[in-house]
Amino acid sequence: MSQNIITEEKVFEEMKKAVAETLRVDEGRIKPETSLIKDLGAESLDFLDINYRLEQAFGIKMARHFVLEHIEEMFGEGTAIDENGQLTDKAIQLLKIRFGDSAPEMASGMDMDEVPTLVTAQSMVRGVMDILDSLPNKCPKCGNASWRADNGVRVTCSSCGEAAAFSNGDDLIKEWLKKVQSEKSLF
Amino acid sequence: MLPLKDKVALITGSSRGIGNAIARRCALSGADIVINYRKGGGSSQEQAERLCREIEETGRRAVMAQADIAVKDSVKKLFGEINEKFGRLDFLILNAAKAPFKPLEKLFERELRQLVETNYLGNIFCIQEALPLLEKTNGRIVFISSLGSRFYNPAYPLGSMKAAMESVVRDCAESLRDKKILVNAVCGGIVKTDSFKVLRQFWEHIDMLPEELFVEPDEIADTVVFLCSPESRGITGQTIVVDKGLSNAVCRTAVKK
Repeated sequence: MSQNIITEEKVFEEMKKAVAETLRVDEGRIKPETSLIKDLGAESLDFLDINYRLEQAFGIKMARHFVLEHIEEMFGEGTAIDENGQLTDKAIQLLKIRFGDSAPEMASGMDMDEVPTLVTAQSMVRGVMDILDSLPNKCPKCGNASWRADNGVRVTCSSCGEAAAFSNGDDLIKEWLKKVQSEKSLF
Repeated sequence: MLPLKDKVALITGSSRGIGNAIARRCALSGADIVINYRKGGGSSQEQAERLCREIEETGRRAVMAQADIAVKDSVKKLFGEINEKFGRLDFLILNAAKAPFKPLEKLFERELRQLVETNYLGNIFCIQEALPLLEKTNGRIVFISSLGSRFYNPAYPLGSMKAAMESVVRDCAESLRDKKILVNAVCGGIVKTDSFKVLRQFWEHIDMLPEELFVEPDEIADTVVFLCSPESRGITGQTIVVDKGLSNAVCRTAVKK
């Protein structure tokens, strides 16, 4: 369900904090459209650090693997990335569905190493929101439907105090991939 | 007396983590330092620049050398630069590593190739290209291994490459004996560096390991300095485990309550 306990603004605020602390940059430099790699010099290890900080903040599990890896795991090696390390047409189609059509570099033949540069503060916020939106209607422990957020970030049941359990990021990507595949039969 | 005075050390992958600590310790022990990092223009380069300044402030020379050890031409260029700038090399510290965190059976072909290219071939390229310089100084080679070389870690295919390299260490120690080059390895336990940030995502509850069983990067770095110093002249072909006793305790902790 789409939860309305933690707002997107709050997630963006935490995102800025995590990015600023990891990369030692000023929070003011982080805008929704900021590319973590191109604009802030982030590297793959930095993403893990940022993810870890977000996981600690919200009590969630971010995706360990990017959507391209999930495609190949689901549909076979070579379905997303060809032997030259370039994205296949199908992978591009899928990325456009997921990230929108805005990035001009998103075209067939795009190098796989270029893909992470598409990650922006906003796309990461979206990832966190997707996980938070997996909040079940009712508390699995006491069955009541009354969640609240401690400090604006930690969702707990307001009747029994149980911490909310969310789907993890990788499972959500897999579910999304299955859904897209069943609708469009891309692969 | 500084044990490494007037010597030159190359530490591959030294912008971050253990490599960074080794570079500092070698510099404190008197060596001039070549800081190698793989990727230009990002946070690694920034950290390498910071390290470079800090070493220079201690009165030692430090130069930055960007190179991807997985690429032979890049390695050739790296040693060309070292020869040009220092005219010598005493210590080759093979620290750089890069690997996906996934169970082996789930690795795609390109990931497998990359695993071998960086963590096995890359190290051997470095040894091959460093030899002409190391022969002149009767230098030392120290490889940085990890407990993954001998124990299972979840989603840690790098372990098999560490095991292969420990074998390479034994091999080279013998074949480079005539050239008076000593070759050893330091096998580190669990260290809270950037790589640990990866590990903890795949190894639930690793945070619960008692604090005293975590190794400090400096504890590994000091062992590397020892293996570069005259005091260790009798040691070659060995892998020294620096793990705060973790592996010694494994048998006991494997027993479930």
